[in-house]
Amino acid sequence: MFTDLSMTVFSIFAQMSVGAFVVLGVVQVLARSRGGRSSEEIDRLTDPATYAVGVTLVLGLAASIFHLGTPMNAINVLRHLDASWLSREIAFGLGFAGLGFVFAATQYLKWGSPLLRQALAGLTALVGVGLVASMAMIYTTLEAVPAWNSWVTPVQFAITTLLLGSLAVGAAFMGTVMWRRRQMEQQGELPTTDARDLETITTSLKGIAVASILLLGAAFVVIPLHLNELSQGGATAVASAEVFSGAVFSLRLALVFLGAGLLGVLVYRFAARTHADPRPLAVVATVAFGLVFVGEFIGRWQFYESMTRIGM
Amino acid sequence: MAVTLGFYFDQTLCNGCKACQIACKDKHDTAIGVNWRRVAEYSGGTWQITGDTFSPNIFANYLTMACNHCDDAVCVDVCPTTAMHQREDGVVVVDDDLCVGCRYCEWSCPYSAPQYDAETGRMSKCDLCTDYREAGLDPACVAACPSRALDWGPIDELREQYGDVAGIAPLPDPSVTRPNLVIRPHHSAEPVGAATGAITNPREV
Amino acid sequence: MTATSDHPTSTDVPSNGLSRRSFLKWSAAAGGGVALASGTNQLGLLPGSGLWASEDEDGGLETRWSACVVNCGSCCPLRMQVAGGRVVRVLPDDTGDDELGSQQIRACVRGLSYRQRMYSPDRLKVPMKRVGKRGAGEWEEISWEQAYDEIAEAVQRIIDEYGNEAIYLNYGTGTIRGTIAKSWPPAITPIARLMNTVGGYLNHYADYSTAQIQGAVAYHYGGWIGANSLDDAKSANLQVLFGNNPLETRMSGGGEAFVTQRTREQSKVRTIVIDPRYSETALGVADEWVPLRPGTDAALVAGMAHVMVSEDLHDQEFLDSHCQGFDEDHMPEDVPEGSSYVAYLMGEGPDGVEKTPEWAASITGVPADTIVRLAREIATTKPTYINQGWGPQRHANGENQARAIFTLVAMTGNIGIRGGSTGEREGSYGLPMANPYASENPVETSIPVFAWTDAVEKGPEMTATNAGVQGADRLEVPIKMIWNYAGNALTNQHGDINRTIELLEDDSKCEMIVVIDTRMTVSARYADILLPDAMNAEQLDLVAQGSAGNMGYTILGDQVVEPPFECKTVYEMCSEIAKRLGTEEDFTEGRTQEEWVRHILDASREDIPDLPSFEELKEMGVWRDPNPPEVGYVPLEDFRADPEEHPLPTPSGKIEIFSTELWEMAETWELPEGDRITALPEHLDTWEGPAEARERDDHPLQCIGHHYKQRTHSTYGNLPWLEEAHPQIVWMNPVDAEERGIGNDDTVEVFNERGRIRLPARVTVRIAPGVVSVPQGAWFTPNEQGVDVGGSVNTLTSWRQSPIHKGNAQHTTLVQIARA
Repeated sequence: MFTDLSMTVFSIFAQMSVGAFVVLGVVQVLARSRGGRSSEEIDRLTDPATYAVGVTLVLGLAASIFHLGTPMNAINVLRHLDASWLSREIAFGLGFAGLGFVFAATQYLKWGSPLLRQALAGLTALVGVGLVASMAMIYTTLEAVPAWNSWVTPVQFAITTLLLGSLAVGAAFMGTVMWRRRQMEQQGELPTTDARDLETITTSLKGIAVASILLLGAAFVVIPLHLNELSQGGATAVASAEVFSGAVFSLRLALVFLGAGLLGVLVYRFAARTHADPRPLAVVATVAFGLVFVGEFIGRWQFYESMTRIGM
Repeated sequence: MAVTLGFYFDQTLCNGCKACQIACKDKHDTAIGVNWRRVAEYSGGTWQITGDTFSPNIFANYLTMACNHCDDAVCVDVCPTTAMHQREDGVVVVDDDLCVGCRYCEWSCPYSAPQYDAETGRMSKCDLCTDYREAGLDPACVAACPSRALDWGPIDELREQYGDVAGIAPLPDPSVTRPNLVIRPHHSAEPVGAATGAITNPREV
Repeated sequence: MTATSDHPTSTDVPSNGLSRRSFLKWSAAAGGGVALASGTNQLGLLPGSGLWASEDEDGGLETRWSACVVNCGSCCPLRMQVAGGRVVRVLPDDTGDDELGSQQIRACVRGLSYRQRMYSPDRLKVPMKRVGKRGAGEWEEISWEQAYDEIAEAVQRIIDEYGNEAIYLNYGTGTIRGTIAKSWPPAITPIARLMNTVGGYLNHYADYSTAQIQGAVAYHYGGWIGANSLDDAKSANLQVLFGNNPLETRMSGGGEAFVTQRTREQSKVRTIVIDPRYSETALGVADEWVPLRPGTDAALVAGMAHVMVSEDLHDQEFLDSHCQGFDEDHMPEDVPEGSSYVAYLMGEGPDGVEKTPEWAASITGVPADTIVRLAREIATTKPTYINQGWGPQRHANGENQARAIFTLVAMTGNIGIRGGSTGEREGSYGLPMANPYASENPVETSIPVFAWTDAVEKGPEMTATNAGVQGADRLEVPIKMIWNYAGNALTNQHGDINRTIELLEDDSKCEMIVVIDTRMTVSARYADILLPDAMNAEQLDLVAQGSAGNMGYTILGDQVVEPPFECKTVYEMCSEIAKRLGTEEDFTEGRTQEEWVRHILDASREDIPDLPSFEELKEMGVWRDPNPPEVGYVPLEDFRADPEEHPLPTPSGKIEIFSTELWEMAETWELPEGDRITALPEHLDTWEGPAEARERDDHPLQCIGHHYKQRTHSTYGNLPWLEEAHPQIVWMNPVDAEERGIGNDDTVEVFNERGRIRLPARVTVRIAPGVVSVPQGAWFTPNEQGVDVGGSVNTLTSWRQSPIHKGNAQHTTLVQIARA
């Protein structure tokens, strides 16, 4: 059980980090292409989120150590890159973390031109995608585990990555805005947010809301397909499908639906009303993220619970 | 690869006693929960009850499994540290100096051969009793089986002598890992993939 | 692939500068005694480090022969490897081969776990005396001297006050294959030898395994005659096993499991197993499994017999010349008409019920057309080997069950021929070892083995005609003292444990209980004085063979390691107690234990000239008779050839299907309400039988207690490896389980008015509907609510006895099951 917890934390946090990083990249690219804002101004919005990604990733990697029976030998885990997806995953993970750290450092210290730093970010994002891909491959290539040995696994991992990543970015943006307004309040100023910042943010959140609703739809299509596949996959597959039933499973579905679906709609609507008080939007965006996070966490937990092997 | 070694199991003789499991534990002093050889009971069927009488249409048989030192050893492929490796004679062993205890091999093996030892924090498994073999003796399980249901040796010789059935229900299709195993099926054994029975003692396997 | 054995052997125990005793004390201080409860490595030996590697300074492992000596019907040599005074590996026999008659005697899963017993945390360490209530588990440690003194005083006092008949040697088979340290039968145990030096003891007859069938043979054949061995089935064209399961109850790889498997391999004889469970034997060798309700074998036989008589398929000639009571023309005088077996079958007897296949089907659960088919097959296949195990007879109607199966064999004319049988359990060859260690009991009184609780509670009420007392008309005194050596029948293996321990808790009834054992068993808890025994591997002893088909062998069990803590051999204990009673010389005859072993070997060499010398035997461990009989013994061959010349010891000299003696006993004996003694092997509906089960709503399930791979009775119980391999579970049929919402591995409670146990359910197709089985021998472990979480079947069974031989009806129990 302890094993499952550490793996759940690691995989959720790592995928969320990659997703958030990619979404931040998309926001950056789109914001710049619209013109009218300097990269510095955009960075001021996205950097805090970027650092948060870093912290999340480090926490996730740390959690994965708890999964090991003999962490002292961990130095050896890169020795089987030519065959083991786990070796590759760790390589990608360390690569993503390393490149991400360098990128964050360059952002913080303003080293190099924005273009160079953007290229670095792009590379980091690619390595991040490689991380999620190899994580999926770890599970999906196991013939012994029918619940994992399916196209469903990489699709679900991708959905989690983007869904959690998007909503995390949304919450992070709103968090940044609210925190800065707080700072202003504490210094005796009237809390305001730059109108163009607000525009960037609300546009991003609209996009995030749309994305999360679409991803929710995808997730809710994949789940029944997966269950159907398992029901026809033989005795072991049927047995492993039993995890996806009952109160906890229902809760997972409800949370994700509420967070990505209902609140997604609210996020979109609140974001569309670009008025002075961003607080309702902040609440909704944060709650949406929170609900989906818990729902996804449960989902990933049950993913590990469904580990039933064929044979004996 | 020099000579590939494997096990032979005569299922017609097995009564599920687990002398093989215990002989292995006694030799290797493995902890509770760590079993380098395991025995499953596979049974199924139905009863017909008519008034005061009953008629069974049932079956049951036993399967013992250690490690099949497979030709396509998936545990070796997936291991990130190369701790799980295959020797010249096909025997798959764990290098304790490299193993991190990530248990990925445990997930990958459809025969439950890699066993996680919580005390050492590493994986452990059947090594076909390397030291006994080197001394000209049989592996502990083979020498112990009261029914003489186990044998071992170069897989070619085993196949020549006993045939080439390498999988029966509930085992996976041999094509998955290509186990070096020959089975003489019990009269009630079902082919791989049959769904009429189930493992009756799942907690023990 | 054959094995060679080139182990280094040495007769010198390597010393490593640390005396063994102090080593053990040190490890006790360091980590709670010599516990081997988990897989921690001892002495720095790494897993798989091999035969030759050892941290022992003197280098090398040494190997010594010992054996497993428990009551499993077999007996297996064990090669024990020792390092630093500790057994580190238990290896099976590596002599002999895979052929019948010279087979390697491979130990079963239990013998291979021997180390777990030796180093169990519940190993008894020092003599202890009870303080507080009996059974409360409060002890004070005493010296051996005090123990001997107090025991001798108690023996003397009780003899003075009540007489020798008040002292009872309880049934205990934990070391049954030893010779000096042998726990049963009483007459050849050291305890009996001790007691016989001071006037004797109250004896018991029969045993918990075979009480009813012993009664059955006494009146049917005139005594124990044995049966064809299991390999004789190779000469048969059909093998029928009633409630016999050698592949689990004789699990040794050199015993009857091996014999049965080999015979089947070689002869392919068609085999039918009749048993409420699809046992391991059914799984292993049966072509057909006929499940039936427990306790209905006699009804099945009657149904089949009806077919045979109706279709004239039975062997009338054999019945005419060799049997009394089959039909009206062959009855003793002064017996009313309608008392024959045929009259019983045809409804012309007192009950007026015709025992048609339909009648039998309703009782047994076996469909009528199956009964008809079986009857025809068994009657017309010649020869048919019919054999019963001890399941059918361990019932409230067990004597009749056994006799019915004997009758079936007689009806089909398969007695006294190769490939046939007598219907008893298989016979086997055994080396005719001498035993000068045996002693004579001056007391002739003997009670049924299962009646000792009655004898404690109300001894003087027990007579020959109301309680089966033998050797006297009645008991003069109740049991006042119990010796309980290597046994658990004091509590765990007896019926109705809750009632038994309540009886024992009253120390005004039984005043003194001495328990000698190696571990803190359930029975050990009820001792007044508890003595820590040395295990058989911790002493030198001659070990007697078990049943192994036609193979004769003997084992010299070496002292592999010294007894740990303060443990002593039972021989030493008895010698010291005898000393205090003034009879040491009578007891020891001036010999040490080793001298006795040599003496017994010498005495045995008279009948077995090839028997090796003591030194040779010590080296080789196990010796096989190089000239076993080529063919097994065929009981009643002479009787069959000429019944006049070789009559049976029955009143008529013939096989008594109608037993004259039982006819008389039915008149003269005083039986409890509901018990019946019948001269014919009639099917009897009894208390808590299958008929009652179907009438009751509260306890509708029949509960039997099969013998299980985890243990030999209760020996090897409570050990981690074996509990992991074979957890205590209750077998139940999926139909019964579904009715109660029980899934496989769910925790359930099995209960009746006598007690309640809690354990996981094994929902399996391998048991008949309406029947559950709780493997016998699990250790009674009552929790605070009184629920036995160890899962002992005897929490549910009864004290009530069978009518003729007053035997334990431990498979006649009704229960209910519910999810916990």
